[in-house]
Amino acid sequence: MDLRAEFQAVVMANLDSLFGYARVLTRRTSDAEDLLQDVLLRAYRAFGSFDRKLSVKAWLFKIMKNAYIDRERRRRARPVEGEWENGDERATDEERGARTLPGEMYLYVPLSPEDILLRHLTIEGVREGIRRLPAVWRQVVELREIEGLSYQEIAEVIGKPIGTVMSRLSRGRDLLRASLQDLLSEREKTGAHDL
Amino acid sequence: MICKVTRAEIFQYLDGELSRRERAQVEAHLRSCPDCSRLVTTERAFRATYLDRLRPDPVPENVRERVIRLLDALPSRQSSPSRPGRLGRLGVMAAMVALVILGGILGLSVRDVWKGPNASVIQLADASVDQHQKLARGLLPFDIAMASPRQAEEWFRSKVDFKVSIPDLRSEHLAFLGGRISHLTGVDVVALGYRVNDKNVSLFVIPEEQYRRLGLSETPKFKVVNRRGYEVVVWRSHGTGYALVSEIGGQPCLVCHSLEEKLELTPAPAAHRS
Repeated sequence: MDLRAEFQAVVMANLDSLFGYARVLTRRTSDAEDLLQDVLLRAYRAFGSFDRKLSVKAWLFKIMKNAYIDRERRRRARPVEGEWENGDERATDEERGARTLPGEMYLYVPLSPEDILLRHLTIEGVREGIRRLPAVWRQVVELREIEGLSYQEIAEVIGKPIGTVMSRLSRGRDLLRASLQDLLSEREKTGAHDL
Repeated sequence: MICKVTRAEIFQYLDGELSRRERAQVEAHLRSCPDCSRLVTTERAFRATYLDRLRPDPVPENVRERVIRLLDALPSRQSSPSRPGRLGRLGVMAAMVALVILGGILGLSVRDVWKGPNASVIQLADASVDQHQKLARGLLPFDIAMASPRQAEEWFRSKVDFKVSIPDLRSEHLAFLGGRISHLTGVDVVALGYRVNDKNVSLFVIPEEQYRRLGLSETPKFKVVNRRGYEVVVWRSHGTGYALVSEIGGQPCLVCHSLEEKLELTPAPAAHRS
């Protein structure tokens, strides 16, 4: 079979997910596109030997994470992992304000799913809540809730033990509830009905 | 007050990340703990309402166009060996003609005896279509793939508490892609993926106890509904419930029935054994 045709089909089937993950990593659309193109070239070189028993999406995400780390190392001549642990060091204040949660949020009691259901949040509202999560948790929540990866696959993608995945996912979900509570409070203050 | 002893496990349980033994322990706890049971119910509703319907943001059109150009410019390479079982163009056309005829016969017969919609069927069908779309787009990866139906059956035996019979038809028209433990309307099910003449078909295997809770009548045996362009067939056979989603009516029957088989309205071929 034509390997290129198979690869094209795989990429197009996963393009939204790949670009979304690139945006989570780079936080800028232009950087995300550069990273995506780099990943596609790397992946195509290795595609012939890819084990078809594995999840192709997890494989592509792993390549993307490694490519991102390589790019950051080249760019800054120092490892990038510490940045992930500490959140958005590279972001401008404006970007940080748009993406991260207010400090007070950590004091909130997370909203229960039942409360959220009763208050009729929209799908886009939940999506916005995920976008507002700090990167380190947003990454794991997106990989699980949107991309549907297993804990093991997430661990392979982010290069962390499965226990770290579970703790980050747990924390990320709590923060998501808090983020949704924040969104609902904003909606109630402004009288908006589109969240 | 939530029972803290198993809260973390409950989320792993809902994520399908526990072993069979661990799942049984959590389920035993749920039967005796109203707080945890309520947490599971609301969390499942939350997931069904929001999380299961989340999709990645669409890639900007200009980025998509540049990616397409990049992919077109890649050097052509051949994989080896080539994938077996692919039909030639003539073979596909012949198969499609046969399937359309077969689908028409079965579909019309079923609709003739089915009396109107049922809220449970509609709800199940909608959830099945959502999952099918995710499976087809690769948003829900298979727990087991590139395996034979027998190997997959064996794998699921240690993972779920209900029997999973996977038809093992050797047909060039059909390829078994894999399966995963999934959730439909808050119920643990096994989701199986197939390719039938280049179309995706999903088969959801539902424990009988959960299927009975849908409150569906025994007759007619097959309930067929059309939701968002997909044909969804729901039925129970030998102690197991099934929901099958396909893009073209009639084609899904090839998952359990060969082209040569003479179909009846209430078939009980070997593949449906309990």
